[in-house]
Amino acid sequence: MSRNGTSQARKSLLRQLADSKVLLLMCVPAIVFFVIFNYAPLPGAWIAFTNFNYRDGIFGSPFVGLRNFEFLIKSGQLWLLTRNTILYNLAFIILGNILQIAIAIMLNEIRSTFFKKISQAAMFLPFFISAVLVGVIAFNLLNYDTGAINALIRQTGGDPIKIYSTAGAWPLIIIMVHLWQSTGYGSIVYFAAIMGIDRSLYEAATVDGASAWQRIRYVTLPSLKPTFIILVLFSLGGIMHGNFGLFWNLVGNNASLFQTTDIIETSVYRMVLSQNNFTTSTAVGLYQSLFGFALVMTANWIVRRINKDYALF
Amino acid sequence: MHRRNIVRAGAALLALGMSMPALTAGALAQDAPVEITMLTMGNKPTNGRLEAMLEKLNELLVAKANAKLDLFYIEWADWQTQYNVQLLSGDDNVDLIGTATDWLYAWENAEKGAFLPLPPEMLQANAPKTWAQVEADGHWDLTKLADGKIYFMPEDNYTQYTNHGFFYRGDWAREAGFENGEITRFEDFTKYFEWVKANKPDAYPWDVAGANEAALTGYIQGHTDMHPIWGLSAGNYFPFHTSAAAPYTVTSWYMEGDALVEAAKLAKQWNEIGVWREDALNFDGETREELYAALSGTDQHHTQTFINDIVNNMNTKQPGSDPKFFYWGKENGNFFKDIFTHGAMAVSAYSKNPEKALQVYDLIRNDKEIYMLFNFGIEGTDYVITADGKLGRPEGWDQSTMDLGTDYWWGRTDEFELPRTTQAPNRAEIIAELDATAKEYPYSTLLINKQAIDPTLAAMSGVLSEYIPQLQYGKFDDPAAAVAEMRQKLKDVGYEDARASIQADMDAWKAARGL
Repeated sequence: MSRNGTSQARKSLLRQLADSKVLLLMCVPAIVFFVIFNYAPLPGAWIAFTNFNYRDGIFGSPFVGLRNFEFLIKSGQLWLLTRNTILYNLAFIILGNILQIAIAIMLNEIRSTFFKKISQAAMFLPFFISAVLVGVIAFNLLNYDTGAINALIRQTGGDPIKIYSTAGAWPLIIIMVHLWQSTGYGSIVYFAAIMGIDRSLYEAATVDGASAWQRIRYVTLPSLKPTFIILVLFSLGGIMHGNFGLFWNLVGNNASLFQTTDIIETSVYRMVLSQNNFTTSTAVGLYQSLFGFALVMTANWIVRRINKDYALF
Repeated sequence: MHRRNIVRAGAALLALGMSMPALTAGALAQDAPVEITMLTMGNKPTNGRLEAMLEKLNELLVAKANAKLDLFYIEWADWQTQYNVQLLSGDDNVDLIGTATDWLYAWENAEKGAFLPLPPEMLQANAPKTWAQVEADGHWDLTKLADGKIYFMPEDNYTQYTNHGFFYRGDWAREAGFENGEITRFEDFTKYFEWVKANKPDAYPWDVAGANEAALTGYIQGHTDMHPIWGLSAGNYFPFHTSAAAPYTVTSWYMEGDALVEAAKLAKQWNEIGVWREDALNFDGETREELYAALSGTDQHHTQTFINDIVNNMNTKQPGSDPKFFYWGKENGNFFKDIFTHGAMAVSAYSKNPEKALQVYDLIRNDKEIYMLFNFGIEGTDYVITADGKLGRPEGWDQSTMDLGTDYWWGRTDEFELPRTTQAPNRAEIIAELDATAKEYPYSTLLINKQAIDPTLAAMSGVLSEYIPQLQYGKFDDPAAAVAEMRQKLKDVGYEDARASIQADMDAWKAARGL
């Protein structure tokens, strides 16, 4: 009986695969990508527990247990770095998603196609600007001696501000720059989700006399909920991974800002730079990934408890 | 059954057919020139001069050693990581690897197995001239690990000074009140900087960019007898030192004495004068070009740069500027000659043709025709020999667009180096003055067990990168309190244990040499 059941299940799985072979074919590049870059290197994480040398390779090098994690704890920075990284990412995730939804809805409400395309392109563009350039632009806007903002202040008779030694200002600056770079790009997904909402819902709402605001509140937003939850769950996995390029190019070696701007990536970069030691950096990466993994599993479990349909798996 | 036999026969035939071209190619390879690739540090030139030179060079190499050479560049962006990753990857396409014990991780990479040990017989057979010269000078001991094997060939036959200091303008210093425009003490730069600030409104007294600690090391070196143990780095810092008074006692100027606090107070004074940009730490400009353009009164680098670039450029771009060099430790003679392994050449452990690689290196290092071609390019196009025997550039040659860019620092030799028209005319005097007081670096053969202290070094690097840049730019209101705080943090992350571990290595090394 059970044997019969299993074979039936297997058959139906095969049937399922056969039925969706075109869809599967379209997934092949993504699957190959993840296998090569995300799954195949996984065993290499073993290097984090070894005293690596070229002769013996990853699996032949002597095992040293958790010694490669030691410097993180020794540095006394682990708590500050973890806190900064998580707080920044939370701000990015929460503000980012809210803004992206708002922009997507506004785009949807714009009737002029020309204006819609222009504004989309203008918002999309910063995404392609390299972090190095962003750093240069920021320096030329914000620096004390020649920066545009301080030049304006001097022109109007005010006292210039030492922005690069005001640690308190930087969370705001970094979050603003991040949102400026990523909102346009992120809003595309929500815009696509809005496009996918059944038009008859809107028609029904209009017939019932719903205002534009009420249509957004009672049709659009609830329809975006699954997309929102999935995107948030995905980004939670990366909550321990900071945006190194952005932080490094904006802050760099300016130690007077570290209290509010140092994240795991930038601190580790400074610590192990020129140490010729890949095992310690792997150890840090592993710590971040395991933390992210645990977080996604927990968040997904919670979501499942509340509404099974919204969970990732 | 019959069918299976047919399949077997077919497979055998196929295998035979596939192996045939390989056999033929193998037989031919005996005669074809062997491709040797040399890993070097530098930005790969794109102006075509390198390729033109290599084409000529390879004709010579084929004739003399049946080999061809190609260069593989590790560019300067993020070079520490890139260099080590390249060696880590075990790429068998690289045969010769440029290295150095004080700044390019030669010991670590030798220990980790990236370099091929070079038995004397192998060197004698394939690099006889190199072997003979290094042997005669007694320098092979500088290239051996604890196992007694040779791991690289030192650039021990080339005079250079890479001791750091300030480049400044003699004409401005004279106006600032210095006799002959000579500044002889580190703290006297305050007077020079103040004069520049007051009299040259377009210029920063010292336009400096990004993280460095020149304002601190410059002061400390001239006011103590302490010196860093090279090659023992924590991030961008060399945190362990010895002193002339106690040469075998490991200490640290970050931890001991008052010099660091005094230096930090001077830096704070300079910051208040406005010697550098308020946001120098985040500034990323070409400060040397600022010096050339009279937008900066000072720049910081080493003697080689002064002799080869600064003098000529300043004399051309700022006539009458009378460029001068103040090196750290000038006041008290506390500076060292370059070690013989500041540049060296190793053979990759993964090289398929190590013997051939050594033959090519021996030619580059010891064959004058090949040396000149490889280092200076094609005579007439890339360089000319002037009537007075100097190496000059042809009419219309422009360094920024026509530079050869071989970046060969792994085995130059004084014998083939000509004085250059673009070098400081008083090069010989500068070298003689340095030779008269420079000390021999005593710890060239000291091997530190870094495995034991790596986590501590990384954590120390974290602390230093938090405090040193701010001390250097005078950003703390109370430098003494900041130094005290930094010292406590360094202690907390295990400074004392690391020091003890290095001291043990030092004691063993000292005992082994009967010092």
